[in-house]
Amino acid sequence: MSLKDKISSMNMSEIVEMCIDQEQQAIDLYTMAMDQAKDDAARQKFQELVDMETVHKVSLKSFEIERYIDLPPADLKVTDYLMEPTMNDNLTTQEILIVAAKREDKTAKMYQDLADHFSADKKLNTFFQMMADEELRHKHDLESEYEQEFLPEG
Amino acid sequence: MDRQKPESFNPIPVKERLTIPRQNMPEQDPNIRNGNFLEVNLGLTEDQAVIEAQRCIECKKPTCIEGCPVSIQIPDFIQLICKQDFLAAANKIKEDSSLPAVCGRVCPQESQCEAVCVVGKRFESVAIGRLERFVADYAMQHGNGDGSQSNRPEPTGHKIAIVGSGPAGLAAASDLIKEGHEVTVYEALHEFGGVLVYGIPEFRLPKAILRKEVANLENRGVKFIKNFIIGRSMTLQELFEEEGFDAVFLGLGAGLPRFMNIPGENLNGVYSANEFLTRSNLMRGYDFPEWDTPLYRAKHAIIVGGGNTAMDAVRTAKRLGAEEASIVYRRSEEEMPARNEEIHHAKEEGVAFMNLVNPIEFIGDENGSVVAAKCLRMELGEPDASGRRRPVPIEGSEFIMEVDMVVIAVGNGSNPLIAQTTPEIETNKWGNIVADEDGQTSMEGVFAGGDIVTGGATVILAMGAGRKAATAINQYLKTKVGSVA
Ligand SMILES: Cc1cc2nc3c(=O)[nH]c(=O)nc-3n(C[C@H](O)[C@H](O)[C@H](O)COP(=O)(O)OP(=O)(O)OC[C@H]3O[C@@H](n4cnc5c(N)ncnc54)[C@H](O)[C@@H]3O)c2cc1C
Repeated sequence: MSLKDKISSMNMSEIVEMCIDQEQQAIDLYTMAMDQAKDDAARQKFQELVDMETVHKVSLKSFEIERYIDLPPADLKVTDYLMEPTMNDNLTTQEILIVAAKREDKTAKMYQDLADHFSADKKLNTFFQMMADEELRHKHDLESEYEQEFLPEG
Repeated sequence: MDRQKPESFNPIPVKERLTIPRQNMPEQDPNIRNGNFLEVNLGLTEDQAVIEAQRCIECKKPTCIEGCPVSIQIPDFIQLICKQDFLAAANKIKEDSSLPAVCGRVCPQESQCEAVCVVGKRFESVAIGRLERFVADYAMQHGNGDGSQSNRPEPTGHKIAIVGSGPAGLAAASDLIKEGHEVTVYEALHEFGGVLVYGIPEFRLPKAILRKEVANLENRGVKFIKNFIIGRSMTLQELFEEEGFDAVFLGLGAGLPRFMNIPGENLNGVYSANEFLTRSNLMRGYDFPEWDTPLYRAKHAIIVGGGNTAMDAVRTAKRLGAEEASIVYRRSEEEMPARNEEIHHAKEEGVAFMNLVNPIEFIGDENGSVVAAKCLRMELGEPDASGRRRPVPIEGSEFIMEVDMVVIAVGNGSNPLIAQTTPEIETNKWGNIVADEDGQTSMEGVFAGGDIVTGGATVILAMGAGRKAATAINQYLKTKVGSVA
């Protein structure tokens, strides 16, 4: 069953639960990455992501989130064709970035589907659209970092 | 402080100098050299060097010095060439650079000193790199390869270990031995020189140059120990505690191959650039069967990447007999980080360039050998942090091409061994050692510089970092360990 179909068969509390679960998985991943990171800049970066995803979790209770003025940057698709590493405690920074970017992509798609699903409800539609944009912004940041470090001559 | 303008030895009026054409360096014919490993560039003749030097217009504010990462006194050495005092010119360069014969060959001059040469604004810039190479070779041939002092200084009694014999380590060793310290270089591989011997091929940088540089340092008292891995054969702590070193310089480089994380990268016939070039250069794969290192002679070899490493690998593949050798690069030629000369030479030698193409999968046969690459076509989008325009995949543009050899040359990471075995050494998230401007790391008495700190960069920057750290080590020995004699 596609996510769209799945959404159609869910009630609102199931939808919120699915979204919170998705955000929690991201928080867990970034917390692990933060613990592994050896310098302050990296820790800070992952802390920021944990904070943002935590804000998302909270926002899902009220369906309100601060609006960004800028549209999300273009999707770089740098990690789209890369293999998804299986989760374990020994992921390298390269693998963490791939896992994270792919996760942001999936989450953005989930929110986009939800925005489409609620196209008739202005508040929910705007909320889920903004959430989708946020996740795409994260994906862009992670992929930029990936390009800089792992494809300097690529 | 205002710098003193060097005495002029150029008899030609300034206006006339601008009419002198840039002197072309003789080269091996492309169709001959793509079948051998001898050096491509043959060097300027003495006459050519003097004519080229005479093209310098002796600017009041020589921007070329600012363009050089180690501030070589370029106008000064150029005037000494005009004077035909080539040994003095070499010594002038040696004041700021430890490895001019190397830098004259491999520095990206077009984006450094020559990029800001005032003559270059309207005409072709003065060929500073070629002149540097000329005087360095002249000095080597005329027994003054050492370039600096020949008398041994008074021993200070201080012992310094250098880990890694790349340009950073060699430059640090050269400056520290000058001070009278006891200097020992530890190298993991069986030859000294780092990337300069295991990465950059003979046809661009003959190994004999490195051997001479190392022999010079040995003559000056530096001790060299090979096949010795710090972190495995001996730990960093043991260097201090058991071997009695007072300070250590880490010039470990960025030699860890990076892969792309796409399916099929572990098929037979898919190499990292590091492995491929090491097999050819260090293990003399190019001399097979004289040397016992087999390397595959491909029908179609593709090299993924657009840097110097990719150019070295593709030109090596061609020389090893590949029927077709192609660069596969996600961006366009304009964004390639490789030196212009390498791209130009590769083209002349028959290398094909498949730009705006990105492999997304390598496909194998029943024996697990690579037989094809699935690729996507790309288009250029907005610039990224490095200023290069970003490639964006074109939806539905997948295509498959036959290949029987692949070399991945998209970048390198730092080797994690020292960081893993020495928790006191702080590293950043990419595994690079964290060091300040002077190379001081988080561990007392331990300094670091070159690619291990910056990530993959250039020879001249590594050399400059080694020299800076040497100055800091001297200072450290004076203040912390006890006065230097
Ligand atoms: C194929 C290729 C082509 C390049 N072409 C150019 C070019 O044209 N121009 C340019 O400016 N730059 C070029 N570069 C980049 C340049 O070579 C590097 O920036 C430079 O060599 C870095 O110097 P380094 O001394 O920091 O390290 P390296 O040259 O990498 O040397 C480090 C040395 O340390 C040794 N080592 C590592 N760990 C240990 C240990 N634990 N114990 C003992 N020894 C250890 C290694 O074996 C190695 O020999 C190229 C790089 C590559 C790979």
